[in-house]
Amino acid sequence: MFKRSVTQTIEVTNSTGLHARPCLAIVNTVRRFQSEVSIRKDSETVDASEILQLMSLGAAQGTKLVVTATGRDAQKVMVALTNLFADHFGLG
Amino acid sequence: MLQVARLVDNAITRNVDADGNVFVYVNPGEAERRYLADNYKLDEHTLNSALDPDEQARLEFEPEHVAMIFKRPHNYSSEDEFVFRVTSAGLFLFQDKLIIVLSESVPMFEGKVFARISSFQDLVLKIIYSSIAHFVGHLKVINAVSESLEDQINTSMQNKYLLNLFSLEKSLVYFLNAINSNAKLIERLKLSAAKIGFSQDNIEFIDDLLIENSQCYEQAAIYSNILASMMDARASIVSNNLNWLMKTLTIITIAIMLPTFVVSVFSMNVEFPGRTHPHMFWIVMAMACVSVFIVRMVWLWKRW
Repeated sequence: MFKRSVTQTIEVTNSTGLHARPCLAIVNTVRRFQSEVSIRKDSETVDASEILQLMSLGAAQGTKLVVTATGRDAQKVMVALTNLFADHFGLG
Repeated sequence: MLQVARLVDNAITRNVDADGNVFVYVNPGEAERRYLADNYKLDEHTLNSALDPDEQARLEFEPEHVAMIFKRPHNYSSEDEFVFRVTSAGLFLFQDKLIIVLSESVPMFEGKVFARISSFQDLVLKIIYSSIAHFVGHLKVINAVSESLEDQINTSMQNKYLLNLFSLEKSLVYFLNAINSNAKLIERLKLSAAKIGFSQDNIEFIDDLLIENSQCYEQAAIYSNILASMMDARASIVSNNLNWLMKTLTIITIAIMLPTFVVSVFSMNVEFPGRTHPHMFWIVMAMACVSVFIVRMVWLWKRW
């Protein structure tokens, strides 16, 4: 099966960083798509569909995260995630 | 740290340099507290209450202002290890200004709810509303974390995930107490509506706040009950997983022990019949294999 892989660096811009509610927003977004998404901060890589792993990342404001989506709808999930980060996770 | 905003023409403008009428003090230092007490006649005890996470929500009337202490969720960080805490915040409503005292930095005046603000009273209610929404948001996170932990527990033999669930249960107790405390404040706001200067629209919004807060409380209570009632079952699952591991290890130990015994008997440095038999090595090996087979048969027969 044809699988695409898309990688993009996204900066955490909201003042409180990647805390509890943004993590849930990311998980909910990723689970809407079929692609597998991983997020890397420095040397630590986590599965973006697992809230336990995401919450352990502790990404503060200004942190640059390397997001990699692999799957048929990789491009779509990447667009959705980019919009989510830009929209401050819909929290304000 | 002081952030100044201005409420004018039904809109709030953040980060203004002059003519501000909404002052947000984040974790004020000693000098700032002294300034607030001296210049705005804020009661020192009430000011400290706004920064004390264990303080209950309440409403107090002072000669020149109304002081409100309310509860809001503490910003979660990865060091919190799944303990979602609550903290306090203070709103000091004057005729011509509003002073907000927070113990930690949170995004203020963000979201659709702050798009139109008719008065300081309206702003106060919307800040309390955003706190309730924050609680609801954290409850959703607690539920998602709880589901994820349950998945881990099903295959786990460690106490780690169980302890994380205990942390969530503790968090929900904090939340229930805080939300209940906020309910008391909102009820008092409604009772003192005329004294505080709430308009008819404001009073209707207070009714909405009461409903939202009550739904938030029920949601927290349901999650808390589910977590508490299933905790013993989950502890049993972890224990059972460990038992299965021990059973598997025992099977492996016994399966290895018997052929080892057979081989070791024939390895003794004494004379026994057939020692010089040309196929004795393979006979011993066969006996070792048969012993494994016998163990397996007994295992199946006993249904261990």
